Amino acid sequence: MTTTRSILICEDEAALRELVRVSLGDGFGFIEASDGVEALELAREHKPDVIVLDLMLPGLSGLDVLSRLREEANQSNLPIVVISAWSDARDEALAAGADRFVLKPFLPDDLRAVVQELVP
Amino acid sequence: MKRRSLPLAARTVFPTALVAVLVAATFGVMLLAVSAFREAERREAHSRDVTVSTLRAEQLVLDLETSLRSFALTQKPSFEKSLRQTRDSLKTQLAELQQLVAGSPEQRKRSRELAQSIREYEDYYVFLLLSIAKTNPGEARSPFAVREGKSYTDKIRGRFETLLRTEDRLARQSAQSADDRWAVALTLGVGGLIAIAVAMLAFGIYLARSIARPVREVANAATRLADGHLEERLNEGGPGEIGELTHAFNAMAEKLERNRDELEAQNEQLRVSERMKSELVSIVSHELRTPLASVLGFTSLLLTRDFDDETHHRYLGIIDAQARRLGSLIDDFLDARRLEQGKLELLREPIDVAGLLREQAELFAGQSARHRVDVAVPTGPLAVRGDRDRLAQVVGNLLSNAIKYSPEGGRVELVAERENGTVRVEVRDEGVGIPQEQQSQIFTRFFRGDAAASGISGTGLGLAVSREIVEAHGGRIGFTSAEREGSTFWLELPAADGVRDGKEKR
Repeated sequence: MTTTRSILICEDEAALRELVRVSLGDGFGFIEASDGVEALELAREHKPDVIVLDLMLPGLSGLDVLSRLREEANQSNLPIVVISAWSDARDEALAAGADRFVLKPFLPDDLRAVVQELVP
Repeated sequence: MKRRSLPLAARTVFPTALVAVLVAATFGVMLLAVSAFREAERREAHSRDVTVSTLRAEQLVLDLETSLRSFALTQKPSFEKSLRQTRDSLKTQLAELQQLVAGSPEQRKRSRELAQSIREYEDYYVFLLLSIAKTNPGEARSPFAVREGKSYTDKIRGRFETLLRTEDRLARQSAQSADDRWAVALTLGVGGLIAIAVAMLAFGIYLARSIARPVREVANAATRLADGHLEERLNEGGPGEIGELTHAFNAMAEKLERNRDELEAQNEQLRVSERMKSELVSIVSHELRTPLASVLGFTSLLLTRDFDDETHHRYLGIIDAQARRLGSLIDDFLDARRLEQGKLELLREPIDVAGLLREQAELFAGQSARHRVDVAVPTGPLAVRGDRDRLAQVVGNLLSNAIKYSPEGGRVELVAERENGTVRVEVRDEGVGIPQEQQSQIFTRFFRGDAAASGISGTGLGLAVSREIVEAHGGRIGFTSAEREGSTFWLELPAADGVRDGKEKR
């Protein structure tokens, strides 16, 4: 590990943000957003290495955040992991440009494995 | 009052009877004509017989005269014999003639007079001359005798002539009367036939118009109805059974259409209910997975990693809170189910609403950093009777909504007061508000407006359950809202007298 990878967590529930953070462990730097608009702003500002994105976000939904990021040229290759309790949303999320879809509830180790796969 | 029209049976029987009477009358007239014709023929034949018989008698009178003259000239016995034979024949012939004319009094009289004249001629001249000729032939041939005979025969000839003329006249009269009757009968018969033809044609048209056409219309309408055009209707009315038929048809079509509409409405309801059920499954799984994510995630962390005591304890707290949230979600779904089945059971205990409101405000104030929950309740108790947990659920629901639907943060006010025997509670927020077109559905189960699209989680059960609870307490619930300005939800409960929280004052 040469440089610290940064991860943007977009999740409206504080407990789940903490869960994601702790699950992924100390090897990363974390930025947190609790709604869609904030997520979009932080993504543009910090250019994180990975985004962990919930779909049910107040203000601007996760899918909107996803498609907007994919429209922006410098963000189009950014790895994005969608986490959602909507099992039906998998196809929609992948179609909108998500790299991985993780269904809630998830095991901390599984989420870490998915993220590490994207940023080895 | 509706005029009861004649049944079809009567309508068909009357014209049929009319035609039958016409046919019978015409047939009768024809029979009369034929009988008149035959009568004329018979009369003509009779006249011929009378004439022939008369002429034959006249000939016999001539023969008698010739035989007499011949005997007077020759005294030959053969002539006397011939005379006597002729006289016998004449007698027979006259008898026949009298029989022939027996039907006509006039001719009977004339034939009797004729017979009388012939008898006089025979008695006073023929046999007298015969006996004179036997004794004194010269005298029998005297001009006087001849003249005397001629006067008799002239008289007889005159009578014959009268008889023939009268017969001729009678025959002509009879023929004339037969012709007249024939002409009348023919006129009547032809008139009758025309009348029958007209009546049958009229009857046919009447049948076609009053039965065949309406029946055809009903059949066509039934076909269209069978093709699914249930709005098909007939003009009601028409004679007797046709009227009943069209009326019954319309009633049937009406019923069919109503049934179809009902079925379609039920079908639509089923579709909506089916869609709501599948949405419900989706909502339930989503709503359960979210707290479950915390419960499972933190449990797994605690099991696999080491944390300091404080963190360890905090994670247990999260697990506890989220597990409770799971429990209350399940309660919500069960409540909805109970409400659907009308099985909500409520306590009727004395409650202080003011205390309840403060508790709830405190609970929710800690949940969001971006929201400020202000409480304005009177210092004294606000007493009502009811189920404390259920009312807490309602207030919690309204507060939770106020926070959820003001994602930008802001002030949430919880206000309560007592007015005119009711306790009124208001929860005001500065959130997104409710669009005008969605306001009527806001208390419908599983209705969530734009919430799902805006990323606001929830089951769409809260307000539906709240309303049921408030109404079961004899109260009312409502709201005022403007889009992007916020909403105020209020509820009113009947006030009770002098109650402390949980305990009766008296």
